[in-house]
Amino acid sequence: MRAATVAPPLALGPGLGRSTVVIGSGIVLLLAVSLAAVAAGTSGVGVGDALAIVAHRLLGIGTVTWPLSSETIVWELRLPRIAAGIIVGAGLGCAGTVFQALLRNPLADPYIIGTAAGASLGAVGALLVPTVLPIAIGGWLGLGLVQIMAFAGGLAAVLAVYGIARGRGGTPVVTLLLAGYAVSSLLAAGVAMLMFVSGDRLAAVVSWLLGSLAGASWPRLAFAAPLIIVSFSLLLLRWRGLNALLLGEQRATHLGLEVEREKRILTGLAALATSAGVAISGTIGFVGLVVPHLLRLAFGPDHRLLLPASMVFGAVLLVLADLGARMVGGIPVGVVTALIGAPFFLWLLRRSLVVHD
Amino acid sequence: MALRVRLHSIPAALTLLLLVACTAPASSSSPSASADVPSTSPAAAAYPVTITDDAGREVTIDSSPQRIVSLAPSGTEIVCALDACGRLVGVTDFDDYPAEVSEVADVVIAAQVDVERVVAAEPDLVLAAGNEITPSSVIAQLTDLGLTVLVLYPESLDAVYADIELVARAIDATAADDLIGDMRQGVDAVVSAVEGADRPRALYEVFHAEGATYTAGEGSFLASLIELAGAVPVTGDAQGLLAAEELIVADPELILLGTASYDPSLADPEAARDTVAARAGWAELAAVRDGRVVPYLDDIVTTRPGPRIVEGLEALARAIHPDRFD
Repeated sequence: MRAATVAPPLALGPGLGRSTVVIGSGIVLLLAVSLAAVAAGTSGVGVGDALAIVAHRLLGIGTVTWPLSSETIVWELRLPRIAAGIIVGAGLGCAGTVFQALLRNPLADPYIIGTAAGASLGAVGALLVPTVLPIAIGGWLGLGLVQIMAFAGGLAAVLAVYGIARGRGGTPVVTLLLAGYAVSSLLAAGVAMLMFVSGDRLAAVVSWLLGSLAGASWPRLAFAAPLIIVSFSLLLLRWRGLNALLLGEQRATHLGLEVEREKRILTGLAALATSAGVAISGTIGFVGLVVPHLLRLAFGPDHRLLLPASMVFGAVLLVLADLGARMVGGIPVGVVTALIGAPFFLWLLRRSLVVHD
Repeated sequence: MALRVRLHSIPAALTLLLLVACTAPASSSSPSASADVPSTSPAAAAYPVTITDDAGREVTIDSSPQRIVSLAPSGTEIVCALDACGRLVGVTDFDDYPAEVSEVADVVIAAQVDVERVVAAEPDLVLAAGNEITPSSVIAQLTDLGLTVLVLYPESLDAVYADIELVARAIDATAADDLIGDMRQGVDAVVSAVEGADRPRALYEVFHAEGATYTAGEGSFLASLIELAGAVPVTGDAQGLLAAEELIVADPELILLGTASYDPSLADPEAARDTVAARAGWAELAAVRDGRVVPYLDDIVTTRPGPRIVEGLEALARAIHPDRFD
């Protein structure tokens, strides 16, 4: 709390006006980054054609002067990736903010209590199904199974962790963290074991574990987007609960918060957003860890601003990182999120140290 | 975080296994290439043609493909050997044969299929490689985008012939019979050249890392080539992994360093021998004691399942039985 009142490093004016400015400029930035992403690619389809195609498909205006392949590239390849980047990035940013506040742990990220390991085990198991069963399973079913298993695995892991950590008097945060770590380790051992026996499917397993938006398509988004949008919309409404939890669970109780119920709801919604995101993109690190920290350093810890801002800037970071990943020979997007985010984060960290001296 | 970092660093090291993927057999038995069109059909195929590819997929080709993308060098070589090089509109950055394919745009860069470039090339036929050399997710994505994808993954010489016929049918090329006839002759020549010679136990080194050697997988295409070339292959598991102890028990009498194709420091026979002799336990292997450690520089033709596989077989036979090829 003090950071906000004593020295907000990038203060932009008081109260609601500041929130509007922050979110507004974030949305403008997101539009700009998305525009760049729709116009840039490894084929020759440039800004003019890309915009004309989007206008034509969305609004029905303009005449077709481009080859069909350009339309496929813009509408079926670039746009679903951008949409997936926005949705997954927003979900990860939001879930990271929630877990950091809920667990009162600066190292918390959306994956911390089992989502990543559970989703990985589910997805890797699904990837190996064609190997295990001598039945030829169509590409569609194969892909669909991976997503469903990832989603189910992520959620199931969080449920298991929560169930284990839950005692008569509630669910202590430390127990939750430790149970999360232990369950994750167990599931990770399962993943490693499956990788060891994966044989010629290993490449597919590795590329899923590294995380990528390359497989994004409208049907996949139709599965994940509603889940993520519903969960972060509901999370946005719970900023008061998160602010209260920052003070400690005892004080939050004194403020009239039903702490255990609040924790269950927050964990459930954040796990839902994370699992749905992981299902379509694999585990993309760093966004959910650093975006909340960045914004907290910049704008203070009030979740009324922090939650929507972490969604918007999570989306900005992931769309930007995926653009970079696409342009540089398809390197894993998680590498790029770290390459872009880490130096900026370190710079902000140093800067805030100076302010606090 | 730490957990995920660990999860990721394991596969990073294991990705090297991919080097072996092109020689290892698929664990699920894929149906051999066959075509519904009778083999006696005249050269000018009547489109649409429906064929079954090496992944067991039924592929219908509506008209004679004039814009072909090849996602693996072996596919490129088949298309060019069928005199259709001019129809290629996309290849990989690893393609090096024939020389004219360097003029064709790259759509696979550093082993990553750039789907956007593939679509931009507007292909009417995409030749992919099976067994995850072209990731199955990419094959599914290309198919969903409406492209016609033919998956090739031959696991024997006969399957290479069948794939050449399959591609010839798909692209309406007539040169297949002559090409396959020449290849069969080449194979026969090699087999008769090494006939009656002693058959040494031969280890073909595909890849070597601390404590683990990758060689021809059991039942793999590479193992069958080594056998045809007049040696008894020392094989690893299905992926070609051979543990250090198993290697010592197998005691190869001849070591072919396929790795020398990519590592110039192994090209000199004495340096190669010193290198392997320095590995734990290797100095006592028969091949090392007898000085039969051969830097093998033809790995590409030996492991690329296209028309030049016969050259690869001959190179193997020459390396194993130099006296038979004077």
